[in-house]
Amino acid sequence: MYYKAAEEMGIKEKLGILTDAAKYDVACTSSGVDRRGNGKGMGNTELGGICHSFSSDGRCISLLKILFTNECIYDCKYCINRKSNDVPRASFTPDEVCELTMGFYKRNYIEGLFLSSGILYNPDFTMELICQTIYKLRKEHGFQGYIHVKAIPGADPVLIQKAGFYADRMSVNLELPTADGLRQLAPNKHRKNILAPMRQIQNGIQANKNELVLYKKAPYFVPAGQSTQMIIGATPENDYQLMMVAESLYQKFELKRVFYSAFVNVNEDKDLPALPGGPPLLREHRLYQADWLLRYYGFQAKELLSEERPNFNILLDPKADWALRHLEVFPIEVNQADYQLLLRIPGIGVKSAQRIVRARKNGALRFEDLKKIGVVLKRALYFITCGGRMMYRTKMEEDYITRNLLSVKEKLPFERDGMTYRQMSLFDDVNFQMPSGKEDCMKAALGQL
Amino acid sequence: MEEKYFICEDSLEGIFTGIYEAYALREEHERIHIQVGEEENLRLFAVYIEIKPDREKAAKVAGTINRRLGEEAYLDICRALASEDGQKGEAVYKMVVCGLRMKDGRRIMGNLADPYVHKVFELARFTRNEVHHWKEFLRFQELENGILFSRIGPKCNVLTFLAPHFADRLPLLDFVIYDEKRGIFAVHPKSKEWYLVTDRDFEEEKIAPYSEGELEYQELFTFFCHKIAIKERKNLKLQRNMLPLRFQEYMVEFGQ
Repeated sequence: MYYKAAEEMGIKEKLGILTDAAKYDVACTSSGVDRRGNGKGMGNTELGGICHSFSSDGRCISLLKILFTNECIYDCKYCINRKSNDVPRASFTPDEVCELTMGFYKRNYIEGLFLSSGILYNPDFTMELICQTIYKLRKEHGFQGYIHVKAIPGADPVLIQKAGFYADRMSVNLELPTADGLRQLAPNKHRKNILAPMRQIQNGIQANKNELVLYKKAPYFVPAGQSTQMIIGATPENDYQLMMVAESLYQKFELKRVFYSAFVNVNEDKDLPALPGGPPLLREHRLYQADWLLRYYGFQAKELLSEERPNFNILLDPKADWALRHLEVFPIEVNQADYQLLLRIPGIGVKSAQRIVRARKNGALRFEDLKKIGVVLKRALYFITCGGRMMYRTKMEEDYITRNLLSVKEKLPFERDGMTYRQMSLFDDVNFQMPSGKEDCMKAALGQL
Repeated sequence: MEEKYFICEDSLEGIFTGIYEAYALREEHERIHIQVGEEENLRLFAVYIEIKPDREKAAKVAGTINRRLGEEAYLDICRALASEDGQKGEAVYKMVVCGLRMKDGRRIMGNLADPYVHKVFELARFTRNEVHHWKEFLRFQELENGILFSRIGPKCNVLTFLAPHFADRLPLLDFVIYDEKRGIFAVHPKSKEWYLVTDRDFEEEKIAPYSEGELEYQELFTFFCHKIAIKERKNLKLQRNMLPLRFQEYMVEFGQ
């Protein structure tokens, strides 16, 4: 294939355009694979990933996150790079991407490359360019750091397979949580085309695991697993629907991560909701909290939400919210409860639960020991006993505990502005911008409408 | 009986030698204490004994800790001793005593109810976090002679933990990491083992000028960091929480 990039454009200008175009992609993680260097070439990876900087929005910068090109044949309404937008366009060459990656990596600016792309000409052409780039990076430059690439829906499965042998992680964007939403906002994309490569990668990973059992030296296929992301708040799904989608992605497609991206309105399209209060950050935060509960705490989506209660509590995190609705389980005796049960106690996380299980082998734990272990007692104290006793005399009563939990201010990664400072006036047309529902009341309360 | 204070050198060897001597005394451990460096307020009715670091004795103690308390505990002890805490020697000594008295010493790190174990646990965690932060935020600058140079100012002695990480990562490159607070350098010549050098009188003027492309890369990365931010989500407080100001002076993207 012959391909020529706009040569008159300098590397800095290209980097600017193609970073700008990539920034709404959320998954900037470099975790999931532990690989020592081989003494040749450059690079290794750490299981937990490494962040190298934080941008002014507080998000981590771990990978060189860029688009290969922001040219695109599609016209998705939420996307800044949609065909009908008049924005400056640029494309890298594979060599330019390699040079930037190597130059940044050796200076310890980044953990590796996150390469996504708009669709140039057609999916195959685009996927071929991505493959070429990461092939060069691995084979010609001897790069062994982290590589995350997108699988382009609609591309030839052979190309996706090829990319999988050079990448650590691959992802296919679900874009919107439901097929309906996709039809509305991304008329050129189809649910079926998105799920097909996802399934292919899942099967590839499984086959590779079997192969590795037989031949230790078999090449790895997407060793850090696959992830996806969906946009939150551009379409009317409730939290319950979102969690059910996420749960089935974890169970049926064995994804490593599902990322949620609070919708940022960049296009002013009539089909998109106006969000004068900014992106729905609290909602995104609650979804991540619940996602954590699914992956590490043994919760199921339907324990957290239901058709009747389809949205998360704005005031309480999902775990505290669950506990308050299940007071019959509590108080739990910390010295006896098994690990899974410990995880259900507000104020006890994965690490502190593990430490409790370990530490109590050496003798019964007291409240002061729990504190040392890292249990947040001011949250946990309503739900636990130590040696049969509660820390203080406490009523096992939902309202009472809720009030007390709320008096301990929740740490949120952003300001809850509007909640306390902005007065709503008669002339705020909060109810007229979007079909009203529970979701809107939630946002109205937070000043996000 | 009077209390005995062993004054040890601030190093793994120094403190391990102290532990060896404490056991050699065959007295109650409760009355023996290990102290790092000089004591400023001498106590009445206490004996102060200077301990000279001894490689062989230290190696014996290291061997015993590894064997009886396990590698995890040994590494945590190393991390704890890399901290600047004045109580670290005493905490490690008393933790070793506690561990050797246990039926299964390998369970020692789970025994967080013990104040000394807890102290070591906290110091080790502090060092581990500090090491991790420098893995994240350390920046190399390429010099004219091709060497990658990095200056860091860590809160504890992280170089021995940091150097292997980068040696594994950049095996074919010459690099130097300079701990300006302690005047120590980790030096990695390409394709060879790394080593430590101490030079307290190092002057930064001695560093060679940047390579030709260095400033361009710094500019490109700074530009990248600027472009990757979503202005609708601007949150400087979160940025500062995740990336404390004390690191920023060492990072090219925050300007020097």
